[in-house]
Parts: sequence; structure tokens; C-alpha cells
Amino acid sequence: MQKGYIWRRLVRSLISIVIIMIIVFTMVYTMVPRENIFFEDSTYRKLSSKSDDKTEYVYSTWQKLGYLDYVRVNDYCLTLYEAGSPEMVAAVEPDSPESQDFVRIYSEKGYSIAKYEINGRYYAYKDIPVIKQMGKWLSQMIVIDTIHSVKDENNPDLERKLSFGRTPSGGLALIGSGSTHKYLLYTDSRFPWIHQNFIKLNLGTSYPTYQGLEVLRVLFQTQGTEVKRHVVFETGYEAESGINFGTLKYKPIVDRMDRKKFVDNYATYETFKDQPSMVGTSFTMGIIAMLLAYGIGLPVGILMARRKDKLADKLGMAYIIFIIAVPSLAYIYLFRYIMTSITDLPSVFTTYGPADVRSWILPVISLAMPSIAGLMLWSRRYIVDQMNTDYVKFAKSKGLNQREIFNRHIFKNAIIPIAHGIPTSLAGCITGALITESIYSVGGMGKMLPNAIRQYNNVMVIALAFMFSGIFILSVLLGDVLITKIDPRISLSEKAGRS
Amino acid sequence: MDTENLNLFEFAAFDELESEHIAAPRYSYWKSVWRTFFRSKFTVAVSILMVALVLFALIQPLYSGYDPKVAPNINDPDMKFLTPSAKHIFGTDNIGNEVFDAVWAGARNSIIVSFAATGINMVIGVLVGAVWGFSKKMDKWMIEIYNVIANIPFLLLAMILSYVLGAGMCSLIITMTCTSWIVVAYFIRTQVMIIRDREYNLASKCLGTSTWTIITKNILPYLVSVIMTYVAREIPTVISYEVFLSYLGLGLGASNASLGRMISLYTSFMKGYPHLFWIPVSVVAILSISLYIVGQKLADATDPRTHM
Repeated sequence: MQKGYIWRRLVRSLISIVIIMIIVFTMVYTMVPRENIFFEDSTYRKLSSKSDDKTEYVYSTWQKLGYLDYVRVNDYCLTLYEAGSPEMVAAVEPDSPESQDFVRIYSEKGYSIAKYEINGRYYAYKDIPVIKQMGKWLSQMIVIDTIHSVKDENNPDLERKLSFGRTPSGGLALIGSGSTHKYLLYTDSRFPWIHQNFIKLNLGTSYPTYQGLEVLRVLFQTQGTEVKRHVVFETGYEAESGINFGTLKYKPIVDRMDRKKFVDNYATYETFKDQPSMVGTSFTMGIIAMLLAYGIGLPVGILMARRKDKLADKLGMAYIIFIIAVPSLAYIYLFRYIMTSITDLPSVFTTYGPADVRSWILPVISLAMPSIAGLMLWSRRYIVDQMNTDYVKFAKSKGLNQREIFNRHIFKNAIIPIAHGIPTSLAGCITGALITESIYSVGGMGKMLPNAIRQYNNVMVIALAFMFSGIFILSVLLGDVLITKIDPRISLSEKAGRS
Repeated sequence: MDTENLNLFEFAAFDELESEHIAAPRYSYWKSVWRTFFRSKFTVAVSILMVALVLFALIQPLYSGYDPKVAPNINDPDMKFLTPSAKHIFGTDNIGNEVFDAVWAGARNSIIVSFAATGINMVIGVLVGAVWGFSKKMDKWMIEIYNVIANIPFLLLAMILSYVLGAGMCSLIITMTCTSWIVVAYFIRTQVMIIRDREYNLASKCLGTSTWTIITKNILPYLVSVIMTYVAREIPTVISYEVFLSYLGLGLGASNASLGRMISLYTSFMKGYPHLFWIPVSVVAILSISLYIVGQKLADATDPRTHM
């Protein structure tokens, strides 16, 4: 129906996301002093006495994070001479002709030249503009795994082929050789049963916290301690292990232990752990809280509208005013205080862990409280507005009873603006709830953004900003599409409607 | 009617001035607003409470001279964790400072920040929103700008601004306003769009009224109650945000008294010295609720439909 409109809007949303990312990149890479990223870095602190190593570490880290391009005189001389040759040893010294060439060439290219404090050798660096950093980030975002992905000079005989087979846990699999992942497509007993490793989203590698881990892995991998089970490996070797065979990846250097378990170079793997991932935890909590909010907020709001200005309405308004006016920090503490003193429920999530239902009760209710107030307020407002319309008076004069008017007419019209908000509240479940999660010490997504900013984890900040803004912009679009499905009178395109 | 009764009547002289008079009750908008507002005793009571709280919070810190950096009793164990008494109305905290002074100094800062931020947001938001709602050409661009600005993570912005500007009252107000105004503008834009094409505005336009006059005379007065409703919700929201940011260590900074920081610091004493936690929380709650109720009642009173 309005395909053209939706496509145009999708394109515009994508442009908006790109602009948001430019702003976020600029803020993160130019407004935060770059020295700060080392505050949380233990390697940096250990290096503080040896000055040249420190300079080396600082600049190579900045290069790794995309701040600047960093060239040492050694790198330049290695293009001229063999490593370890006498010419090489002489050339790296500051007064050699090669070093002078290095200084001249790189200052012509616009690099800043500096000297190591102790050995006096030259190095050059040049800031990478924000737009270029972002271009690089975007171009690396989608990783496609093919049988030519692995480039390992020490293993020239690596076979490059695809074949069908089974995973050691019994599922069907498309097995790659020469690809980064071993099982490119496989089935197992976990949701959604068919998994693929062909296309992966890469939002960068986390630093300095969760060092070396891919951002998405940090957010989506299971947490806690390894769940071991009896496993028979490819080689027939039997052991207790938490291995997830689907995650097997190419490992350039395999050791003796790996040889025991695996027949080829695919020996890097992730393990199953006993607690849900950060996204999983936040999403579970958010979904239950959302269901609770709609389950309570809507009926109570309807009740308030039908008993307008009576006791039920006034009590409901008192609750709404309380939630709007009192800072959420305060009422969540208040709620927890009251509930833990009258029931046996734990005051923090970690007491019984995610496996126990009791851990979830208080956080979920705390999370639902503000949404309940919002839904009560708006559903009451919309229904009261509908009750005063002409068509309702007409229906009444035609002899329909209250219930018919309500179910057939008012409710259908009043629910439209509420349905508009459903995708956005779903999106809110993914981003997590900062205050609730930190008060109850739930290991969810909420803390990730503030922690990442505080610990100068630029890659994480950018990845989260990208995920959150993308999810929210798309959910607003989804909400718009949803109401056109519910109400055929609504038209999104400008030509069909009046405004 | 018989002639006997008719004789009782007399002819009145023709009065030109009286004949021009339209027999309708006199109506003054603002007078009606205040009359409706003060009709309810509950509203009057809450208003008095609110004014008293705000004035007390603005004046008391001038006399107490409370400064969170100064802790005169820090080495005196007898002065720490005192429970409320006649001498120490709200007791003392973990470093021996008067909670009473700290709470009111914090309340003062919260009030200043929330009033200033709400004021700036509303002025910019209403002006931009009114023009935005009126101009279809502008709408196309503004909606994309809105999409971009409203989606920049607020926490990221708050943290980076507190970084660039340093912690303090001014930087907090800037943080609260630099992107939030567009949310107000978007809200006003939708309201303006709803009434922009009403018949009376069409008539105005046909009679040659300029766009600016239509906006300021026809549309904005209609929006007074909507704007008041928004303000009533915005002020507690800003106070809440201050508490939230201070909880994350981003709000007013250590050198300014802040209810938010008190709440986040004192949560650890909830078991042993519950009064330390409950006093700032209740002050925030009473202040926010009274501001919200007064705002709501004022919003109701500014709606001409309630004046009948």
C-alpha cells in the first residue's frame, strides 16, 4: 500500500543514523581528551617508569583505536634494509642519513615529527580526521566469511572448500575450510535452531575494558561460570567441557591440548555459561515488565475513565502524580525497602541469581511502576476524550448499551495512540533500565553506556550509540506502520491525508 | 392584557448609548483564570505550601551559609550521625554536618536548575515549535533535525558536556537545555498543526492577518493550558534528572549542595540511619508534588472551557 512512503522513510532514517553517528564520533574523538583512555589501563600503569616503551605503547594504542597514524623510523628503515642487518642498526640512529630522509618525507606528508625521550630516535604521527575514522568503521561493519578469509602464511596448504557434515553435538552443518568459522551454517537444539556464521556484524573491539573482545560478543555472550557437560571431541577425546561447537574459529598456532581435541586448525571456541547475556537479561526483565505494565496500566486507566471523578479515579491520579513527581531513584528504594521488610524477597538480584524466580520479582515490578503510571494516564486521557465525541452520543441515542459502546467503539479508537507506543517500549527493553538494574545489581545492558563513557571505552560508546539510535528510529517507523494497520483511516504519505 | 394594567406602564425615553450595549456578562480571561484557580481550597492550600517551600529554600541557605566542602565537625565523633532533635532539626550526617542546612541548600539548587532549565526550554521550544508547526516547508527539514537531535544518547551528551564545561550549576543547565528544547518544540508543533487549519484561522488569513499575528494572537493563547500542563510535568522531571545525574556522579559536582548527591550518598546508611535517606527523599517528593499539583491546577484554570 504505502510502500513508496516506507522506503523513502527508511532511506531518510538511515541518513539520520549516519548524521547521528557523525555527531557521536566527533564528540567522542575530539571532545574527550585522548590521554584519558589510559586511566583504566593496567598495562599503561605498569609501563610508567620506562619512558620510551610508554610512548610506544601510547601511540600504538591510539593507532589501534583509530585516533592517528603512527610511523616509527624502524618501520621506514625496514622497507630499505633486512631486519637485523648492520645497515639497519645504523639507519635507525637519529643522525643517520636514512633518519633525516624519514623526517623529510613524513613532514612533507603533513606528519608531526617527534623523538623518543631516551634513545632519541624519530617517530611521526598524523591525526586521522573524524570522517575518515567513521568511514573505516562503517566499511568494517559487515564481515562476510568466505573460504578465502583465512590468510595464514605459515599454513599455505590450508584446503579451501565447503562440505556438508555433522557437528560433534549431532547437528547438520555446512563446514568450511579456509573460512574464519568452521561451521558456517549449523543446526542445534537452541533457539532459533538454525545458526549461521556467514555474515557477522562487527562494531569494533572493546578497549580498555573487556579488552580484546568484540563489542557484540560482550553484550550477547552468556555470563557467569562455565556450564560443563560430557563432550566427545572430533578426535574421540572425551572430557567435561562447556564448549559451544558452533563458535569454532581458526587458530593460527595450535598447541598440544588443542591437538588432543581437534583434528584441524579450528580450535578457538566460546563456552556456554550459566547466566543469560546482558542483552538477554535486560530484555527478559523488560518484556515481563512491559507485559505487566500493559496488563495493569490499560485496565486501570479504562476503569479510571469510566469512574471519572469518583474515588477510583482519584486514587489512580494520586499514584500517577506520585510516580511523575518523585524521582525514580527514591521510589524504587522506597519500594524495595517496604517489600524486603514485609516479604522474604531478596534485595539484590545476585542473592539467588537469574535462575531463581524470586530474584526477578522486585526488579520487574520496580521497572513496571513508571510505565503503569504512564499507560494509566494516557489510556484514561484518550478514553475520556473519546467519550465526549459525537459518535458516542449518537450510539447512545440509538440505544446501544454502555458495554457495546465501550467495546465496539470507544476502545477501538482509544487504543490507536497506545498501540503507536508499543514498538518504542519494546526497544526500551533492549537498551536496559539503568536505575533499576543498578539498584538491584542486575547484570544487564543499562550500566553499559555510562560505564563505557566513564572508562573511555570509545569503541563501546560508539557501538551502543549506533545500536540504540538505530533501534529507536526504526521502532518509531514500526509504530507508524502499526497504526496504519490497525486504523485504515490513517495515511502516512502526504498526498493521501490532509496534513 | 386589559387596559387597566397597561396604564401602569410608562414609555421610556430613547437612550442611544444603552441601545448599543450588548447584554453579555463581562469576561476577562486572566481574572477568570485566577477565579477558577482560587475556587478550590485544596489548590490554595497546596499553593501556599509550594510558595512557602520555595521561599524557604531560597532564603534559608543565605543564613546558614552551608558549603559542602566545609566540614567543621569532621573530627568530632560526637557530632556524627545524630538523630533529629530540637537542636539538630534533621540530625547530622556522616561528616557531622547539619542535614537541615544541607537539604535546603540542595533544594535551592534543584529549584534554580529546574526553573531555569524549564524556562529556557519552554521559551525556545514554544517559539520554534509555533513557527515549525506553521510552515510546511520547514517541517520537512525540522522533522529530520528532530530525529537526529532527539536520538543522541542523553547520557553521552551529559557526560561529555560535564567533561568539557566542568561540573556546576551553569553546565548542568546547559546539559538540560541544549537538546531538550527540541522535544518541547516538537510537542508544540504537533499542537499547532492540530489547530492551524481550523476555520477561524482560515477566516483570519482570508482577512489578511499576517502569519505572525495569527501565531501570537490566534494560536498561542489557545495553547496556554497545554503549555502549562507541560511545564507542570517538566519541572519535576528536571529535578528528577538532577537526582539521576548526581547518582551517576555527573550532576552539580562535589562543590555544590545537591539533593541528588545526598540521596545517592546516604543510600548506604539506609539500614543504620534511615533518617539520612528519608529526609532528602521526602523534601524532593514534597517539593516536586506541590510544584506539579500547582502547575496542573493552573493548567486547568487557564483552559477557558473551565471558566463557565
